Amino acid sequence: MQIFKKTPNIQFLKYKWIALALTVLIVVAGLVNILAGKGLKLGVDFGEGTLIRVKFKEPVSVSEVRKLLSEVGLGDSIIQEAGKESREFQIRTMEKRTTTQDQEIESHQILADRVIQALQGDEDRQKLTQGMLDLNSLDRNSLTNLLRAVAPDEAESLANKIIDYRTENGIITSWEELKKEPINLTQERISYLQSRAFLGKMTVLSRETVGPQVGKDLRKKATQAIIWSLIGMLVYIALRFKGVEYGAAAIFTLAQDVLITMSIYSFTQREINLPIIAGLLTIVGYSINDTIVIFDRIRELQRTMRRESLENIMNLSLNLNLSRTLITSGTVFLTVLSLYIFGGQVINDFAFLMLIGTIEGVYSTIFLSCPVVLFWNQYFKKKKLHK
Amino acid sequence: MKKNLQWKLALIVVVIGLCLFLVYPPKDKIKLGLDLKGGTHLVLQVLTEDAINVETDQQLARFEEVFKKNNITFLEANKEKPGRFYFRGIPVEQEGKVRDLIDQYTRDWDYSFSGDRLIFNLKLVAAQYLRDLAVTQTLETIRNRIDQFGVAEPVIQRQGSDRIVVELPGVEDPDRVKNLIKVTAVLEFKLVKAGPAPDEETLLRDFGGKVPEDAEVVRSDPKRGTQGYYLVSKVATVTGKDLRSVRRGVDEWNNPAVHFTLNPDGAKRFEQVTGANIGKQLAIILDGRLQSAPVIEARISDSGIIQGRFTPEEADDLVVILKAGALPAGIKYLEERTVGPSLGSDSVKQGLIAGLVAIFAVMVFMIFYYRFAGLNAIIALILNEIIIFGAIGYFKATLTLPGIAGIILGIGMAVDANVLIFERIKEEIAVGKNIASSIATGFSRAFSAIFDSNLTTIISAVFLFQFGTGPIKGYAVTLICSLVANLFTAVFVSRFIFDAFVPTNAKRLSI
Repeated sequence: MQIFKKTPNIQFLKYKWIALALTVLIVVAGLVNILAGKGLKLGVDFGEGTLIRVKFKEPVSVSEVRKLLSEVGLGDSIIQEAGKESREFQIRTMEKRTTTQDQEIESHQILADRVIQALQGDEDRQKLTQGMLDLNSLDRNSLTNLLRAVAPDEAESLANKIIDYRTENGIITSWEELKKEPINLTQERISYLQSRAFLGKMTVLSRETVGPQVGKDLRKKATQAIIWSLIGMLVYIALRFKGVEYGAAAIFTLAQDVLITMSIYSFTQREINLPIIAGLLTIVGYSINDTIVIFDRIRELQRTMRRESLENIMNLSLNLNLSRTLITSGTVFLTVLSLYIFGGQVINDFAFLMLIGTIEGVYSTIFLSCPVVLFWNQYFKKKKLHK
Repeated sequence: MKKNLQWKLALIVVVIGLCLFLVYPPKDKIKLGLDLKGGTHLVLQVLTEDAINVETDQQLARFEEVFKKNNITFLEANKEKPGRFYFRGIPVEQEGKVRDLIDQYTRDWDYSFSGDRLIFNLKLVAAQYLRDLAVTQTLETIRNRIDQFGVAEPVIQRQGSDRIVVELPGVEDPDRVKNLIKVTAVLEFKLVKAGPAPDEETLLRDFGGKVPEDAEVVRSDPKRGTQGYYLVSKVATVTGKDLRSVRRGVDEWNNPAVHFTLNPDGAKRFEQVTGANIGKQLAIILDGRLQSAPVIEARISDSGIIQGRFTPEEADDLVVILKAGALPAGIKYLEERTVGPSLGSDSVKQGLIAGLVAIFAVMVFMIFYYRFAGLNAIIALILNEIIIFGAIGYFKATLTLPGIAGIILGIGMAVDANVLIFERIKEEIAVGKNIASSIATGFSRAFSAIFDSNLTTIISAVFLFQFGTGPIKGYAVTLICSLVANLFTAVFVSRFIFDAFVPTNAKRLSI
């Protein structure tokens, strides 16, 4: 099977000015948005606030959650619904920079505690202070201890069953669930549990806080890692393709890959965290791969077609590789699309970034990497050509 | 089969066999990161200044004693800041004797006479040593506590000069562990002079509103139910250091409590004090908060009970921290990430589904588009995955979400390598070459592109590994593994499959 019956003959390099203009447009729009508009949202990894994921027993709406948080003065937190049943929420408290450096992580934690308490509601908190145990946050050992009173021999296996069930579902919503498979608690045991414990209104799925010191470190190290790896690629490509212009073109392509992706990303509500940095690097990886494949073709054709102009060789290389570029990017796109659809909340931002990146990577390879080599040769190597 | 095909097959079988061995059984060999398994990741800072502070207090007290013993008079002794204290008003004629005494007692402190003051400064080397020791001891204490509490496979490591990283996989109640790590755990038994009183003013009414010199005010721990202020003696009868053993038990009302026994030294003091103060209250103080103040009913020698309306968990935790000992310095949390087990298992499940759907889609496409050659690519891809996981098992690397991203990039590049080769073979066939030589040229022509692109990415990944932290490192590891595997499977294994299954005089190739 073939995408193209014959090798296509598209004069890609004719569109280099249009492509350049489009790139500049997107990047400028993005930069304006980043610098003057909403800006890039740095995530928890870089020392900005606390991220809490919770799951409720009953479905609630975002506005109800916000109302609960407003009662403790945290109504301006970012609240996002996750999952499908209106039961999972992701809450980002924004820290108010009034505290001193030293106390900041503590203040993050206090904020997080306040969020959790507010969401728990008065009823649950009262039960806790009365010494009742919350079955939706109790650990294995404590539950085993609790069950010893009614089921001395089976306490451990019952506790394991209950906790495993809770792990599977995130939260136990009603006592009825404990009567059914796979736990099969008897009414007597349930009554006992009801006398000592209750089913909390919500449970905390995850909680992340990074203090400003560590946040700063992580930011610095991430930047360092990216810069050094770009330099490494530049040096290798320049050596292998025997020309600084190829290295420079590759780096230029990569720089604009990052810029375009971040520009588009800045228009969404999503945050930048360490996995997003990994995503950016992946995009850079694919793009450099594409670019090298084209450069490799150019290198090969230059040996066999010495008379041909560089521009024509570039066009031919792009055309010869076109079906490969489309197939490879197509399969990557499929992979990322499945991550985006099925990968779940945690991986969603990453997959979204990759979706932008795969499309953008094809564009940058075809329309931008070669023109840079051309420009470089025109402006810096004129003398050589005239010799 | 041709001879060189035989040794190629042998090599492939050996490599794959080895990797399967390294990864089997996957549940034990592949460690999942906290983001996938659930657990707590903590970065904490040891407040090493505390250790300097304690050392300063101790030295100050020690020299006061030494000077008094040797009849050296002074007007005032005071701590200026951690690592610096002074004596004021030492008579000039005693200076020589003072110098001799100091030289005899300490080498860690610089001293100088300036005006009417004798100033002590902690030497830089000594301060550095103390800070370092505080971090090492804190780390050991935390390790002890976590071991006693019983967490499977904890990671407790020092990071930089004063940070400690604690990773606790699969902990269900992270707040409890966090508190367990953080409490300083200084246990003191002190005689009660007055109390309880609802506030400080009422408490001090009998003492003229001022705290007597040999006493101090403590509040009862709000967690223990009762609220109140107590006036207790400044000197502790016994402390946590005097404990010989502790165990969980119950008090006379069957409430959870902690039983302890004392070492001979502590027991002697305890006997003396309890014997002389029958009928009075003895305060049990943990980290400056009063837990309970039972009345001394008889002379007690070497064993006793700490009670204080504990829940069973609190009593267990108290046993753990008392056994592990007190922290030499305070700690502060710098970073805290907790992923609940259900979110972690959700991530794994969804990641697995997404990964399988992705691989399936790619496979269907490859077979649909390349037919026989597509099958070849799929075999290469599967072997590639086996090698990646074998390498992860061998390096004992942990698999995290960013690590999965690295594998996905690897899959993409593996497929790409095959696509490059196949497209090249098609081109050669289209020009009219015979099948066997088309395959040979296709592989050799595509090789430089595959080699360069993989190596470039490996180079960048090596830098990421070198400079990156946590997730970025995890990403770099899986990426490097999959790219190296790629060079083997896409080039070597694919070529072998073509050579083995396509006869040299083939007229057609399903590609």
